[in-house]
Amino acid sequence: MTTAADLDRVLGDPADPRLLFSYARLAELDRAEEFPADHCRELDRFGLPAHYAPARFGGDLRSYPELLELIRTVARRDLTVAVAHAKTFLGSICVWLAGDHDQAGRLAREVRAGTPVSWALTERGHGSDLLAGEVTAYGGRLTGQKWLINNATRSSLLTVLARTSRAGGPRGFSVMLADKRTLPEGSYRHLPKVPTHGIRGADISGIEFRDAPATLVGEPGGGLELVLKALQLTRTFCAGLSLGAADQALRQATSFTRNRHLYGRRLIDMPHVRRTLGEAHAGRIVAEAVTTVAARSIHTLPGEMAVVSAVAKAFVPARVDELIAACGTLLGARAFLTEVLDHGAFQKLDRDHRVVAIFDGSSFVNQNTLINHFPALARGYRKGTVDEPGLRRTLDMSLPPPAADTHELALSSRNGSSLVQRLRAGYLPELPGAAELRQACEEVHEQLARVAPAVRDVSPESFALAQRYELCFAGAAVLGLHVVNGGDESRATAALAYILARLTGRPAGAAYDRLAEEVLDA
Amino acid sequence: MPEALERLLGDPWDPANPLGYAEVVAADERREMFAAAERELDAYGLSAEFVPSAYGGRLTTLDGLVRIMRPVWRRDPTLGLGYGLSSFIAAVNVWTGGSPDQQKRLAEQLLGGGRVVTGYHELAHGNDFARTELTGYGRRLNGAKEVVANARRAESMVVFARTSPEQGSRSHSQFLLSKADLPPDRLAYLPRFGSMGMRGLDLGGIVFTECPMPADALLGSPGEGIETALRSFQVTRIALPAMMVGILDTGLRSVLRFATARRLYGRTAADIPYLRATLAGSFADLLLCDAFCTVAARAVHVLPGEASVHASLVKYIVSKRLIDAMDRLSRVLGAHFYIRQGEYAIFQKLLRDVSVVGFGHAARVACLATVLPQMPRLARRADPVAEGPVAAGAVDPLFRLGADLPPLDFSRLTVTSARGRVESLSAVLRTVAGQAGADPELRRLAMVFITELNGLEADAGQLRPRDLGVDASPDALAVPARFAAVLAAGAVLGMWWHARSGFLADPAWAVAALTRLAADLGHGDGELSGALVERLASELVGRFAGARAFDLADSPVPG
Repeated sequence: MTTAADLDRVLGDPADPRLLFSYARLAELDRAEEFPADHCRELDRFGLPAHYAPARFGGDLRSYPELLELIRTVARRDLTVAVAHAKTFLGSICVWLAGDHDQAGRLAREVRAGTPVSWALTERGHGSDLLAGEVTAYGGRLTGQKWLINNATRSSLLTVLARTSRAGGPRGFSVMLADKRTLPEGSYRHLPKVPTHGIRGADISGIEFRDAPATLVGEPGGGLELVLKALQLTRTFCAGLSLGAADQALRQATSFTRNRHLYGRRLIDMPHVRRTLGEAHAGRIVAEAVTTVAARSIHTLPGEMAVVSAVAKAFVPARVDELIAACGTLLGARAFLTEVLDHGAFQKLDRDHRVVAIFDGSSFVNQNTLINHFPALARGYRKGTVDEPGLRRTLDMSLPPPAADTHELALSSRNGSSLVQRLRAGYLPELPGAAELRQACEEVHEQLARVAPAVRDVSPESFALAQRYELCFAGAAVLGLHVVNGGDESRATAALAYILARLTGRPAGAAYDRLAEEVLDA
Repeated sequence: MPEALERLLGDPWDPANPLGYAEVVAADERREMFAAAERELDAYGLSAEFVPSAYGGRLTTLDGLVRIMRPVWRRDPTLGLGYGLSSFIAAVNVWTGGSPDQQKRLAEQLLGGGRVVTGYHELAHGNDFARTELTGYGRRLNGAKEVVANARRAESMVVFARTSPEQGSRSHSQFLLSKADLPPDRLAYLPRFGSMGMRGLDLGGIVFTECPMPADALLGSPGEGIETALRSFQVTRIALPAMMVGILDTGLRSVLRFATARRLYGRTAADIPYLRATLAGSFADLLLCDAFCTVAARAVHVLPGEASVHASLVKYIVSKRLIDAMDRLSRVLGAHFYIRQGEYAIFQKLLRDVSVVGFGHAARVACLATVLPQMPRLARRADPVAEGPVAAGAVDPLFRLGADLPPLDFSRLTVTSARGRVESLSAVLRTVAGQAGADPELRRLAMVFITELNGLEADAGQLRPRDLGVDASPDALAVPARFAAVLAAGAVLGMWWHARSGFLADPAWAVAALTRLAADLGHGDGELSGALVERLASELVGRFAGARAFDLADSPVPG
């Protein structure tokens, strides 16, 4: 067992150019577009891969919140390394969810040993439309091209979504596990690395199979359902990547404005700069609350993960993109130059992070999921449906999360969201904004109830409403965590102000300024 | 003629075109200027566009210059800045503050295809250029300028230097220098600065060590450096964002190409209502940016006394609109915005390049800080006896594309707004809102901005002197920010009102633009109604299919 704090010590001082995980060395790799192989090996030595495999199969993964903290720690230092290394977790999930005990046990041993595993979902020309997939696995043999796959080339093992019935459709796909080390000569070839905007060192490539033998994971025809459930975990996981980027962006902006003098004063003492930093900190608190709730919900409210993970993936990366842009305005030209200020760490993280919003389903895809849930969300809110014990264990940070039972994951959440629905009848603390949040939530749910299910053309208004629902969820997360665990009021107040500014247009400046006073002058 | 330049550059999407996007991207990957295009622009004599006609160049109107340069920015922003705009930014200081001899000398250099460096920037001081450390005491330069375009390859430079140790705004001067006149051993170059966007730009630095200057190098009188710079900014802070509108044109065009070609869930992506709304919204943003830039550029001719306010607020509004629109469009492209190869690779380059508009040539907050001290005065209703009213009809040419303008007179630019109040754009709001025939939704939106203007007068009147300095609170800075939205709305309404026919006379685009701007003031979320989306999207798709520009000019483009 290793903790995020241990990991941070292993990464060492980022300013020391002799160290592997220094800004200088990481910038060099980015410039050369070179895979961070040494860095991945170092993380292997540290034992990070064991955290990608559940304990019941012989790994160290007992707690998703802990796994997210670990990956956040790597992402805070460098998103490219985080993306390159953690792909093994994404690649293995289908086996953890649906593989038999032998298959999962074997894979866990491989993962522990540092064998890279990749996850091949997308194909050229289809993007997120998985039902259009053309790679086939008739008779257990893979044929066709998977493209834009992280670690397609470097991995030894791949889980592949493939068509197993000619008619396709929701039951026409299966997940297959392929082991390149045992594939016959000529049954696969790698497609070249694709040059990308950010994460330039990552192995974003493709693979073409030709009659390549592979083993089935889970049920034949169960591939799409399996992938959609796996995505509930990986979408939550992505929020951890975003939080790491937010940490680094805030660190850069704070230290720069602290040391920079303009017009005879420190930048950080100028009111508009403090306002911007206050809002960015509030944004991080909100993103953290959503991520914490989402990661714990895997253990405590797995049946609601369809909604929870869609909110986490649609909301957190987008808010962090915003946070990065705001920090960038404070850095000015230094957000653009690639060598000054920690070897251009900021512009790298800006480019790197933009990929997180498109990984494993864009906001568009996730908001579509939420829109499909509108009737269930409206019903759950009206009835006040709440899984009380599940919600309690989600919010109470003094309780370790119970063992995760991923068999409880479901394609849709029949009960909506306990967290949001609790807001209707639950106890409201004396926190500025709490009552307004409840009021806004009422209105959003009234609007949800009025949306007629769209057969085909989802209206732009529904997407706007999905975004408002995300804000309700975020508000409920902030409030719920505060009610159960207590804690600093100015943080919770600023976080609520951040949410209400976006939900109702309520001015939030004063709350940001108070938060800035607290976090910047500490 | 913009059309002539577009023809010269050819179809950007044709992979066989040596001046097409494939080559633009390739030059960016090599971190080189787009040499083939530079040769064509040399042959065309593009630098003559930066030289006033009085000195043998082709510069007659600022609006005209912007339109000439749009094709270059649509093709490659690095070319836009590296070939042209950086020279123009330096040259404006000479047209504004130089002697006839200096103007003639620079004109000859530019007409001969030369380049001139803008030597303002020192990394340690950013927008606070009064704190510049480079000195020019006793006709000798000592110090360095950093992150300047074309540092090595330009033949001459305009250098901003401290020339008196006193505090205050009369302690700096600018010098026009030809490198050929300087002893080579007193001049050194810093290594090139790497940058995330505009990677081909020769972004360098120049170090002067006891470098003697010729006697005729000083621009204007000693101590006029800041004043000349501030007056010049009134032209260049309009020109930079106005030209960069071309980036959004290509961004939108790339996304349309993608969205009309790609089938998702059984139809083209452009038919998905949500994506269609995103496209229509970005088109509205482009039009409102162009309207504000165009009117501000034309106002430099008609009402040069108002230019200090217009320029800063154009920079403030347009820079963020362009960046945000490109961000939203990137989401339509999905994974394709992230890939640096293939048909849509130009988009990721533009996404990196466009960020320059945010901080380049003054940060947005510095623009607000420039206008803030003028707000109390601007908010007071003009005293028509003291200042004379704006003659009826005098401002009409602001809003009529192609209408004749008085000559561009750099000497009439003033550091702060001359009139008590910026009449031209706020007056048009009141005029148009009063027209019974106008579209009811347009009238409603116009009222939103009139109400805002009235509120601003009250708020600006309450600003105290300590609210106006560098320690200004975010709430004080919000006053010029809100004023910016009001002026932009005035520009849109004026353009619509004066348009006689065609798309610009249709209230749809004006309603859409005002809907977007109203969201800046906290009215609505900026999303367009279904009918507006359809009207704008069909115009957009029509222009895309018919190979026409997306800006107000609606001119033909190749491809």
